[in-house]
Amino acid sequence: MENTTPGTDATRFAFRDDRSRGARIAWQARIFGAYFVQFLKMRLAYRVDFVIDTLAVLFSLVIQLAVLGVMFSKVRALDGWTYPQVLFIYGFSLVPLGLFNLISVNLYGFADEYLVGGRFDRVLLRPVGSLAQVIFESFNVSGLSEIALGLAIMAGAGLKLGADFGVTDLLALLVLAPGAALVYLGVFLGITTVSFWFEDKMGLAPPVYNLIRFSRYPITIYSLPVRVFLTFVLPFAWVAFYPAAWFVGGERFGKVALLTPLVGVLVFGGAALLWRRGVRNYVSTGS
Amino acid sequence: MEPLIRVRDLCKDYRLTDRREGVRGGLQDLVRPRRRDLRAVDRVSFDIPPGEMVGYIGANGAGKSTTIKMLTGILTPSSGEVEVGGMVPWRQRQQYTRHIGVVFGQRTQLWWDLAVVESFRLLKKIYEVDDDTYDRQMKLLDDLLDIGKLLSQPVRKLSLGQRMRCDLAAALLHRPRVLFLDEPTIGLDVVAKENIRAFLRGVQEREGVTVILTTHDLGDIEQLCRRVIIIDQGRVHFDGELAELRRRVGQSVRLSVDLRDAAASADLAAVTTGLPVAWDEQAGLRHVARFNRAEVRAADVIRLLVNDRPVQDLHLAEQPIEEVVREIYRQAAAGNAGQPGAGAAQ
Repeated sequence: MENTTPGTDATRFAFRDDRSRGARIAWQARIFGAYFVQFLKMRLAYRVDFVIDTLAVLFSLVIQLAVLGVMFSKVRALDGWTYPQVLFIYGFSLVPLGLFNLISVNLYGFADEYLVGGRFDRVLLRPVGSLAQVIFESFNVSGLSEIALGLAIMAGAGLKLGADFGVTDLLALLVLAPGAALVYLGVFLGITTVSFWFEDKMGLAPPVYNLIRFSRYPITIYSLPVRVFLTFVLPFAWVAFYPAAWFVGGERFGKVALLTPLVGVLVFGGAALLWRRGVRNYVSTGS
Repeated sequence: MEPLIRVRDLCKDYRLTDRREGVRGGLQDLVRPRRRDLRAVDRVSFDIPPGEMVGYIGANGAGKSTTIKMLTGILTPSSGEVEVGGMVPWRQRQQYTRHIGVVFGQRTQLWWDLAVVESFRLLKKIYEVDDDTYDRQMKLLDDLLDIGKLLSQPVRKLSLGQRMRCDLAAALLHRPRVLFLDEPTIGLDVVAKENIRAFLRGVQEREGVTVILTTHDLGDIEQLCRRVIIIDQGRVHFDGELAELRRRVGQSVRLSVDLRDAAASADLAAVTTGLPVAWDEQAGLRHVARFNRAEVRAADVIRLLVNDRPVQDLHLAEQPIEEVVREIYRQAAAGNAGQPGAGAAQ
């Protein structure tokens, strides 16, 4: 008998984790890159669907923009926030939302498709992280159009504001947007993970998803309890307003913005720990 | 030899919630759910040395799949130990799964919408199979399973038999040391079944892969496994060689007799008086005798018969294993063989 891995005897498997953490991450990144390529190939086979999806997303975004425009045609400012500022916050909010939407499709169907449908068995049989597999097995490409549109709105609003953004601001965007996306991911991952223990018959995700819209306005327009709720309980203030404040928040909120990545790591880290416990608690389907 | 797979006192409990009826029941369920534990696997222990092919059999809901899922790292046991190749499956899942191959007959491990070859390429990346090994394995697997023509098709368009061949190939791409097969021939026609069995025999002989096979189809076991483990209601009722199983169950041989002149079975029983032979209750030309080869020589029975009356034809057959297993269940239910581990070969 010839062994696939050298240096093992007949009854011991070789433990092959001699790679550094970085090498492991790079390896997994290559795998999920390949997942993404496969997904695109598959999607492009259905070009019409692809175009319709993209158009639908753009349409809903245009409607939301129009609402903002109408609102500010009646009032000059919202609790001291000008139209370009609010527009900028809205534009920023689309970037982490797009990042999140790009990779979150499988979280919504997780209970049905993976737990009840039994696809999670297959995930656990592969020598790659289970959460990463679920997240990267499917993508929502319309997230990319949200990101593009968000960047465009930010640029437009920035011009109106007469702000002069530099390299630091670009770097800040590169840190703040993924940080904010982690907050989204953490919140919805937490909700998804609950289905390892309970059947979520009512569906927690859609109502929570609807609360995201409140996060697109400057948080100061809300009463104190709502502010506390959006900052500490369901931390959606961190997906748009706080990070965007780096650019438009001035003295008062500019510094708070930098806490965004930390909040993202905490929320996502907590959800990932819960996920690990959930996997231990996984009961497969019959047969 | 040191076992490759070592299972000790393995248990798995499922927590079930009984639902009450109606709106009121639904509310009660919400406030105070009625829960009970179901023990799906109950103190299962066995050792498997490297290179062995073992049949793990039992009825629906006997605990077969649950055991396999614990052995493959999918489920965490409620208690007990499993070590395969020195690793604990559910604890070292990501390392462990590099060394095993798994096929679930009921469900494909491939990506449903991808062409088969794309699935294989992803698996090549995931298991870090180098180009040389990949090319060699693909060639070998194509020779044996004839999957070359299927590679460009999406998995969802394959027939069950084609899919199973692709699934087997996918499970062996990274040259695993242990192969877990859960109902690999379920739903297949006779020819497809035969192909899969021949393939498995070949792989096992050539590569020395250790195989655990669960199945409903006892033909799989008869053709592939020397050793069987029988499980019922979560417990091991038999663990040993197939031949030993037949011996233990008793009447392991069926002798069909075609007579020239009709007779009652009582007449024939009279002929074999003194020998522990049971005649099926019937009259006419055809009769069936059952006896244990360890106690009675078939030649003796035949000689007595032929000397007594004209016999047209004789046919000697091993008892079908379905009957053997049914007998084991019956004995277990009667409490004769109810102790777990009773009759264990090792």
